[in-house]
Amino acid sequence: MPDRACTSCDSSPAKAVSATGLAVSGSVGRACGGREASAVARAGRLPLLRRLSQLAMLAGLGQWSFYGIFRCPFIVPYVSCQNCPVLTCHGRILSLFWGAWLLLPVSALLVGRAYCGWACPGGLVSQMLGKLAPVKARVRNAFTRIAPLGAYLALIGCLYVWFAMGQPRGNIPIRTGEFFGAVSLTFEHAGLLWLVRTGIVLTLVALGLGVANFWCRFACPTGGAFEIVKRFSLFKVYKTEACNGCDKCLKVCEMGTRPEETACTNCGDCLDSCPQGAIGFGRKPS
Amino acid sequence: MDDAHHGHGRRHFLKKLAGTAAVTMAGGLATMTAHAQPGAFPGKLLQVWSCGGLAEAMNPANEIYEQRSGARVSYTGAFAAALGKSLLGGSTTEVFAGRVLDLARKLRHSGKMLYFKPLCFTSYVMVTPRGNPAKIASIEDMAKPGIKVVLAPEASPPGGAAALAVLKKAGIQDAVMKNCVTQGSCVQRTMDDIISGHGDVSIVELRVTRIPQFEGKMDVVEIPEALFPPPPLTFTIGVMKDAKDRALADDYVTFMTSPEAQALLEQRGFIPASSDKGRTLVEKLGVKDA
Repeated sequence: MPDRACTSCDSSPAKAVSATGLAVSGSVGRACGGREASAVARAGRLPLLRRLSQLAMLAGLGQWSFYGIFRCPFIVPYVSCQNCPVLTCHGRILSLFWGAWLLLPVSALLVGRAYCGWACPGGLVSQMLGKLAPVKARVRNAFTRIAPLGAYLALIGCLYVWFAMGQPRGNIPIRTGEFFGAVSLTFEHAGLLWLVRTGIVLTLVALGLGVANFWCRFACPTGGAFEIVKRFSLFKVYKTEACNGCDKCLKVCEMGTRPEETACTNCGDCLDSCPQGAIGFGRKPS
Repeated sequence: MDDAHHGHGRRHFLKKLAGTAAVTMAGGLATMTAHAQPGAFPGKLLQVWSCGGLAEAMNPANEIYEQRSGARVSYTGAFAAALGKSLLGGSTTEVFAGRVLDLARKLRHSGKMLYFKPLCFTSYVMVTPRGNPAKIASIEDMAKPGIKVVLAPEASPPGGAAALAVLKKAGIQDAVMKNCVTQGSCVQRTMDDIISGHGDVSIVELRVTRIPQFEGKMDVVEIPEALFPPPPLTFTIGVMKDAKDRALADDYVTFMTSPEAQALLEQRGFIPASSDKGRTLVEKLGVKDA
């Protein structure tokens, strides 16, 4: 935990106003008194809450998520569930899952990329792999500035496959069957396009073992779409003018970024990291 | 002579009696097997592969069988040719219900399948949007100028190839292809085009119109049976040599050919092998174990 040397309550920088009850003051690094202690406690609970949220979403969306990568017959997964012959996939069973896509833009307008940090099962896997990665890439350099453009390229690729190629079906769907056996059969009989797509995705996810969160930061097309929308989001983790660029927030961020900047998922991990109290969550004070 | 005559008569009587007893016992055993005692195979696991087209019918049938037998069915439904290729290679399963008679014969000749029985047959129909706005009444109507035809020639067989074979047999393939507004790679997307009115007509298996998400959402126009391409019509079910519990595998096959399971197949748009029509097709197409 950061140094908690008390200065003065009055000296606390502007605090974020919570819209959701989860917001905490960026001043907790120098907090004092009951209110600040409470904020510290809340901030300490936040990562735990986030992991619980991710696990809950893994239970709900996990099967759909992994079927999308390994068994979805379409080149762009998750978006053709209404036509999918894979009977055992949750995206096929419950139209609710397909409808979930309609909620994503709404969530992006409300809380930016929070879905990536709080809900996406793929994000959870990526973050767990990132724990093992020797390269965290929590620096600001040419690579970390340019590589996130990969997510936009992936998004363009998906849109091309969807609109220009008519979303072709790339494998022989295993309509039903136990997961691993069916995955094995899928790989055995899939078309080249599907194998290339799946190989690229798995390679990029596996790169997360070397560079933390490689997929989420530099390759995820959904993340790329969120990046475009998030600038209009109502609530966000933000930094105020009090920021002196010390980059302590960058050092704790799994995505190797700073509030409001590219790849910030509003996860909140940085909320108690700022010695200047320059980080908050909610509506950014104008 | 008399003794001999009597002896012959006695032997004849005893043989007849023994034969009758054997037939009766076999019939009784078959009946007992067809209606397996509840929980006859508790805790046993049976691996079943089938053509994916059967999945909507086999899933509920499997549930009934599991409740009845106490066994668990590990079921995989996928493109039969792919599964067949795997089985002819190194993969194994205990029961296989495949499409195309030649596949079952290949598995039998390779020694990987112990026996097979006819299971059911498929048929092809034209589908139109509700109300049939283009007034499609016969296969020839698909060739009329201005008719918007939806096909999926790139769909995994028989989805695309069979429809083209029907048109070829009808002698209208070229004219119909000129009317094609969509040539997709997925039969299920074809159905969406018809339901939404994007197309006037398509050719699909009757079973596709019984898939819950499509059922009742389009009109169905029959196609003369003479135009059906024979190879994809036949589904068989057989026990594989890798069956760990032969009695369980036999019992499952007996159940799937029983009136109860055959009725489920009929509900899902298949012609049951045990029906009058099915028996005719068994003879016509020569669906006999070899």
